[in-house]
Amino acid sequence: MTDTVSGVAFLALSFATIGGAVMMLATRNVVHAAFWLLEVMLATAGIYLLLSAEFLALVQVLVYAGSVAVLLLFTIMLTLRRREDAVRDFEPGWGSVVIVALFGGSLLFAIQRFGAQMRPGTMPETVPDVAAFGETLFTQWAVPFEIASLVLLVALVGAVWWSGGDGS
Amino acid sequence: MSYVIAIPLLPAIAFAVLGPLSNRARNKAVWVSVAAVASALVLSLIAFVQVWPGGHEGEAAYHASVTFASIGSVYLGVGVLLDSVSAVMLVVVTLVATAVMVYSLGYMHRDARIGWYYAVLSLFTAAMLMLVVSDNFLQLYMAWEVMGLCSYLLIGFWHEQVAPRKASLKAFLTTRVGDVGFAIGLAVMYATAGSFDFAVVLHDFQWAPATATAVALLLLFGAMGKSAQVPLHVWLPDAMAGPTPASALIHAATMVAAGVFLVARALPIFEASGIALTITMVIGVVTALLGGLLAAVQHDIKKVLAYSTISQLGYMFVALGAGGLVAGFYHLVTHAFFKSLLFLGAGVIIHAAHTQDMREMGGLAKKMPVTTVTFTIGSLALAGIFPFSGFWSKDEILTVLWHGEHYIVFALALAAAFVTAVYVARLWFRVFTGPEQTSELKEAHIEMLVPMGVLAAISAVIGFGSPYFAQFLGHEGQWPDAAIALTSTAVAGLGLALGWWVYGRRTRVINTRPLKQRFAVVYDALSLKLYFDLTYDYFIVKQFSRLAGALATFDRVVVDGIVNGAGAVWRAGAEVGSLLDIHVIDGAVNGTATIVKAAGARVRRLQVGRIQAYQGLMVGALVLLMLWFVVKGA
Amino acid sequence: MTLLQPVGALSFMTLAAVLFSLGLYGALSRKSTVMVLMSLELMANAININLVALSRFSAPAEMTGQIFAVFSMVVSAAEIGLGLALVLALYRQRKTVEVDAMQELKG
Repeated sequence: MTDTVSGVAFLALSFATIGGAVMMLATRNVVHAAFWLLEVMLATAGIYLLLSAEFLALVQVLVYAGSVAVLLLFTIMLTLRRREDAVRDFEPGWGSVVIVALFGGSLLFAIQRFGAQMRPGTMPETVPDVAAFGETLFTQWAVPFEIASLVLLVALVGAVWWSGGDGS
Repeated sequence: MSYVIAIPLLPAIAFAVLGPLSNRARNKAVWVSVAAVASALVLSLIAFVQVWPGGHEGEAAYHASVTFASIGSVYLGVGVLLDSVSAVMLVVVTLVATAVMVYSLGYMHRDARIGWYYAVLSLFTAAMLMLVVSDNFLQLYMAWEVMGLCSYLLIGFWHEQVAPRKASLKAFLTTRVGDVGFAIGLAVMYATAGSFDFAVVLHDFQWAPATATAVALLLLFGAMGKSAQVPLHVWLPDAMAGPTPASALIHAATMVAAGVFLVARALPIFEASGIALTITMVIGVVTALLGGLLAAVQHDIKKVLAYSTISQLGYMFVALGAGGLVAGFYHLVTHAFFKSLLFLGAGVIIHAAHTQDMREMGGLAKKMPVTTVTFTIGSLALAGIFPFSGFWSKDEILTVLWHGEHYIVFALALAAAFVTAVYVARLWFRVFTGPEQTSELKEAHIEMLVPMGVLAAISAVIGFGSPYFAQFLGHEGQWPDAAIALTSTAVAGLGLALGWWVYGRRTRVINTRPLKQRFAVVYDALSLKLYFDLTYDYFIVKQFSRLAGALATFDRVVVDGIVNGAGAVWRAGAEVGSLLDIHVIDGAVNGTATIVKAAGARVRRLQVGRIQAYQGLMVGALVLLMLWFVVKGA
Repeated sequence: MTLLQPVGALSFMTLAAVLFSLGLYGALSRKSTVMVLMSLELMANAININLVALSRFSAPAEMTGQIFAVFSMVVSAAEIGLGLALVLALYRQRKTVEVDAMQELKG
């Protein structure tokens, strides 16, 4: 029963993810594309839930679906002079289609090829919960965590410096 | 009975199908959502029949749930709970939604974005059905917020105009105020009861009066926002800027009743508190009376109906506050039918008369017979005239109040019933009698008239089911008390008579100006909506923009100062570095540079300057590398 | 039925591969800087799915993949913040957001 549920959920979520990504690239309106990206991010949060990574799912919703989407929409808004500028011509870029097809094809081929060497695909039943995750993050990985926060701070200051006013 | 899960899913699927389509394809595919909602209606009817002969609320005829996340020891699940209350609500919501969707085929057929309209309407229906069948408060809250989003989208549907845009923002923000209360209430609930499940929170857990009061009042605050109770009612009249059928579904029949549904569901917590019940009753009766008074001075036909909705929702809160779950819930059901009928009728009238101002209408009775008959049935039901549905439910509420010995509230509720009858008469006589104001009146399309006919038929006869309704919910059902029925009929009759005397007696030439002048203070206060909007504007909106200004100054002076300071320090450091650079490193580098320059002159032809060309080159190389690995690995 | 078989690590990897390829296509072909940044986010997302899925299937107790995914999210959040600041700076200078407007490094 649970296998069926998670199988159906996986299918629905991967459809939502890939479909959203396709729509994001297919739509000609940048604003719509941002909303499709938002949809992909939310579906990805659902996939994290399937993988019982609840903390990551929440972070995904907060960071990507929340702030990144808003940031994108603000940038789009600030860089459009007219409403019509949001609509762009479709750019198929055939050269990149070829490259990406080769790339994705060899990736999928590799997955098929070397997948057999992996352990069989059953999901281990027991998972440590969020408390254990927090403990690991703040003991074993405390230093990288602090460095990550420093990275964020620098990026924040840099972004403000870069975009703020005519500050040169 | 697992098909119950499909009831909320069907409209959701319709949204998922319609949403991604292009505008043109969507406009042609609106039948998807009509079909989805109609099938949901059929399934709901089947579910209703299977739940028959009913039972106490909470006694589940069907219950299934699945956990989708566990955070520590917190299990978050979605579930489907079918009991007598949700069975009734399912039928009401799907029935009204189907009627509105069929009606909209005619009403909106010339709109360029009809497909988007139907998509949002489907999403709304899905959320409302999800709310109705949810088995825990968290799921209910999620559906609640989705409905708020749909309400925002539909109020602002014609966002090319200013008024709908402003109204949608106002509605969103005002209900958000209530939702914050709701969210805090949920947090307190979880902190005390340790669960969101109805079964645990409402039945197993023993509430201490103090925490019960806190939770109940916070939930009530959320319900007040959604159900437009004083003082959070200001958004609903403005919400009439949206398409009329959407108003019929969302702002009359279903979404605004969700607050009542929430209080009805959470009634055990309210009962554990005691004082929360009294507060609910007081808020309800104040709203019922104020809403009625405000409806009596509006000139916009939709705003009259909007204030009337506020007033009738107040009635439901009164009933719930007096502990009359059945009475309040029954009024919700009858109100859903007759008020959506009135809104659909108003849509036809607005289409025909090309105005929303009642002063510019008149004489519609001769040209539009079907609309007149159905609208009259709706009006009489609203005024509470025997044998139409409003009479029965209003009567039950009054009976509950009388037996509960809330005599003051009883008197105020009667006064509200009187005012209701007055504005109903005012509306009816202004619109349907008198000289014709526009020449090209004609009856609406058949797809608009059929739903109105169905709703009118239901509104006319559903009242006779009132004792069976109580039995279905597991309570003792009885026919209305003769004395109270006579009193309320007399009051409603008096109100109608007064309305006729002022507005309908002679044709058209009635002059209400002397009346207005004699009670100038009252009239001004009412026509300025009792100063609610002005107060909010002065004390909240103005103060907020002042705060925003202050924050902007803070931002400019302090935050920018810090950032600029950091930048300046960085630059000073860089300058020191550059001095070092020039004097020490450059010398060593220059020699190397000469060699590199010679090499660069040859390589530069590769550098076309387009980032994506570099990127493509990189990926191409990567592909080659990967292919080599794959082949070699094989 | 094959569609309803238990979901294995390979399914997640395939999903991530498809998502990554789509993102790569967008990053290579779009002319608008904002669209390129969005495609980069798509690719980062695919990587994160892979990290979480593989950690879930191979060594769920250590949760290294999840922790790594957190760091990867931090980096990509920083990246999108800076990237968008760059877009704004570009727009202020050139009144356009086309990628090809940035050709200063041409040889």
